[in-house]
Amino acid sequence: MMLPLAAFTVAFGVAFGVAATHRGLADWEAMLMSVFMFAAPSQFAALELWQSPLPLLALAATTLTIHTRHVLMSAALYPWLYPLPRRQQFATVGFLTDSSWAMALGEYQRGERNVGVLLGGGIALWSAWVVGTAIGLEFGGGITAPERFGLDVIMMCFLLVIIVGSSPRAAMCLPWAAAAVSALLAYWWLPAYLHVVVGALTGGLVAVLASGKERQEVGQ
Amino acid sequence: MSWLAASQSLLAIAIMVAITTLSRAGGLVIMSRVPIGPRVRRFVNAMSSSVLIAVITPMIVHGDGGTRLAAVAAGGTALWLRNPLLGIASGICSASLWRWLV
Repeated sequence: MMLPLAAFTVAFGVAFGVAATHRGLADWEAMLMSVFMFAAPSQFAALELWQSPLPLLALAATTLTIHTRHVLMSAALYPWLYPLPRRQQFATVGFLTDSSWAMALGEYQRGERNVGVLLGGGIALWSAWVVGTAIGLEFGGGITAPERFGLDVIMMCFLLVIIVGSSPRAAMCLPWAAAAVSALLAYWWLPAYLHVVVGALTGGLVAVLASGKERQEVGQ
Repeated sequence: MSWLAASQSLLAIAIMVAITTLSRAGGLVIMSRVPIGPRVRRFVNAMSSSVLIAVITPMIVHGDGGTRLAAVAAGGTALWLRNPLLGIASGICSASLWRWLV
């Protein structure tokens, strides 16, 4: 289970390295992100916003809205981790990603109580991500006219398949449509970069409102 | 790269690292005090996928034909085969094919 996931992660890392090079990032910038952020969706979204002068607020807001879900994930691990010393608890969640979390939670439900599954899986994926980024940075620069090879769409495709793979439940259609429309309107008429935050908050609000209504209907 | 630009991108990366680190640790800190309710859970879950939608929608709407075709191909393949990497590959291929033909 771990091995194919690590291979995927290397490939995603290569994609990030190539996209970062074509976006004009220095190698050290892309490498710092992969080593210390270790968060593919945020890193790809950051590439999209990366231009001089850097929109610091927009970058922070985007990362924050993408990453608040990790608060929920590490919260779900609390029952598993709380017997451990504090330092080990935080070291373990430091390597938390969507895929290692999902895998570890599956193990936990099957009766596994060894936290090493979580920490070891996290470290393995982190190494794969960093190695992949290095490969992508190394070879991405050698390609001229990246559009001809369709390399400029890597970012967009990556974010799209993440969405498709996340939770393609019917209940999400409405929030996602609301997010798309509001983001587009904000993109046209509001100051630059606000569309990301507007779309995120609209999607979240619509999801809460829609589910409240469902419950009322079921109650009647 | 100028010194100013380098320090600015260092600052940007430091901010993003701080946010990702705090959000990973945050759940443990919150849970050791109060449990998180279902409403908040739903809001946060919808928000984190909506932000990705918000990023790519203008890219697709304002992109060329190759970008739009790539979006359809990548999304369709990922939905159909349940394989994200094949989805990205088909997106890249269809974009380059479009630009080669048109």
